[in-house]
Amino acid sequence: MTDKKTINNDTWEPKIIGFLCNWCSYSGADLAGTSRLQYPTNLRIIRVMCSSRVNPQFVLKAFQEGADGVLVSGCHPGDCHYIEGNYYARRKLTLLSDLLEHMGVDKKRFQMSWVSAAEGPKFAEVIEKFTTQVRKLGPQQKLSGGDNE
Amino acid sequence: MIDYSDIEKKIREQARQWLKNGEVKYVIGYEKEKHSPLSRPVFIYNADDVDKLVYGPTCVDNLTRYLVDEMKKKPKKGEEPDNRPVGIVVKSCDSKTIVELIKESIVPRERVKIIGVISSNTVNPTKLEEAMQQIPIDKRNDMTLKEDKNEFILKYNGGEVKIPRDDLIADKCKVCVVHNPVISDLKVGDFTEPLKPDDFEDLKELEEMTPEERWAFWKQQISRCIRCYACRESCPLCYCEECVFERAKPYHWIEKSVNQRENMFYHMVRGMHLAGRCVDCGECERTCPMGIPIRKINRFLLKRSKERFGIFPGINVEDKSMFGTYDVGDPEEEIW
Repeated sequence: MTDKKTINNDTWEPKIIGFLCNWCSYSGADLAGTSRLQYPTNLRIIRVMCSSRVNPQFVLKAFQEGADGVLVSGCHPGDCHYIEGNYYARRKLTLLSDLLEHMGVDKKRFQMSWVSAAEGPKFAEVIEKFTTQVRKLGPQQKLSGGDNE
Repeated sequence: MIDYSDIEKKIREQARQWLKNGEVKYVIGYEKEKHSPLSRPVFIYNADDVDKLVYGPTCVDNLTRYLVDEMKKKPKKGEEPDNRPVGIVVKSCDSKTIVELIKESIVPRERVKIIGVISSNTVNPTKLEEAMQQIPIDKRNDMTLKEDKNEFILKYNGGEVKIPRDDLIADKCKVCVVHNPVISDLKVGDFTEPLKPDDFEDLKELEEMTPEERWAFWKQQISRCIRCYACRESCPLCYCEECVFERAKPYHWIEKSVNQRENMFYHMVRGMHLAGRCVDCGECERTCPMGIPIRKINRFLLKRSKERFGIFPGINVEDKSMFGTYDVGDPEEEIW
């Protein structure tokens, strides 16, 4: 679909898709929840078993369907549950981030982070920081076809 | 005048020898088109036909595409497969593609016999056609292209047109890093021009733009895309049996409709799939009927993979693949 999005500027809230790895980041998010930490509610979580499951096409598809920001979060390097998955993810997704910047899509809309299962407060902080960052950039219309004349 | 007849003689001799011995099934090479100075691919099955083989600056195709097709062929029911090697004539840029195909186990080394030509330059066919416009229409029947040190001379029945060298050679030749074929069974030719290292000058203009200007540039370029898939079909490294863009079940990645949203996705994903594998043979941009600068995307990823991970595809068969390996010290300054 390539209809121009009618954005109501007063009430627009960014839609952020988060790919969280099951063993570290998802558990970290869970811990943030059980600790009753407050963080913005714009995040929509997709649980994957490992951050290396995230295909660059998933990220581009999320942008194409209208996401304003995409976050991919995994275990710290060296701590991956599957030993080396996050190293592969790091390679693929840093190159994807470069490509997004080269095509003119703002690099700040895509972010990777390492959050472990014990880092509930860090997770809340990452979401807070990222949501503020994406809110400043405004609605994403380039890859979703919204700016097609 | 630069003379290619010595190279042609050696190519024909080798092809004749291979075909007479039955060492190869057939030889893939270039032949001259009838009424134009351009060349086109040819398959030689008999030793008697080897005189069709030519070589010159108008041999622009990357013939390794046919190697991939050969490897995908299945024998007819009940017949024994013919596993003899296939002979091929490659320029130095195309020999890099063969290295990549061997690395990815698509073409076993023993199934290809390579005649590598130490190449100087090829022409840009679009610019050659522009130059041909200077010749009166009724005289365009029998044109030949001769090469001199500083210029190309397009001879026709009644005169000639001189074109400065830099105006006619292909863009990819201006940034070439290998004039010697990186892999071959026989090397022919002896051009010894010094090489400049590739510093990605052609990307500088894009890098200095702001993101908004870059988006406007790419939006305008990709607006011409008609999704004919010529770039994908002519690329020797796009060999997937079922391309991700043809997939309909269980989930279709892009719609079949041709509009900006789908076209952007197509070009970006194709770039990502070729990252770390593309050797910049230039076929995608040459075959694009709409003149989209596809090489700019691939070269950008080539530059970044070289800077970030030290990977430069196409030089050595023992090199590691980019996304199949990792380094514990990969850069991660942008990760929170």
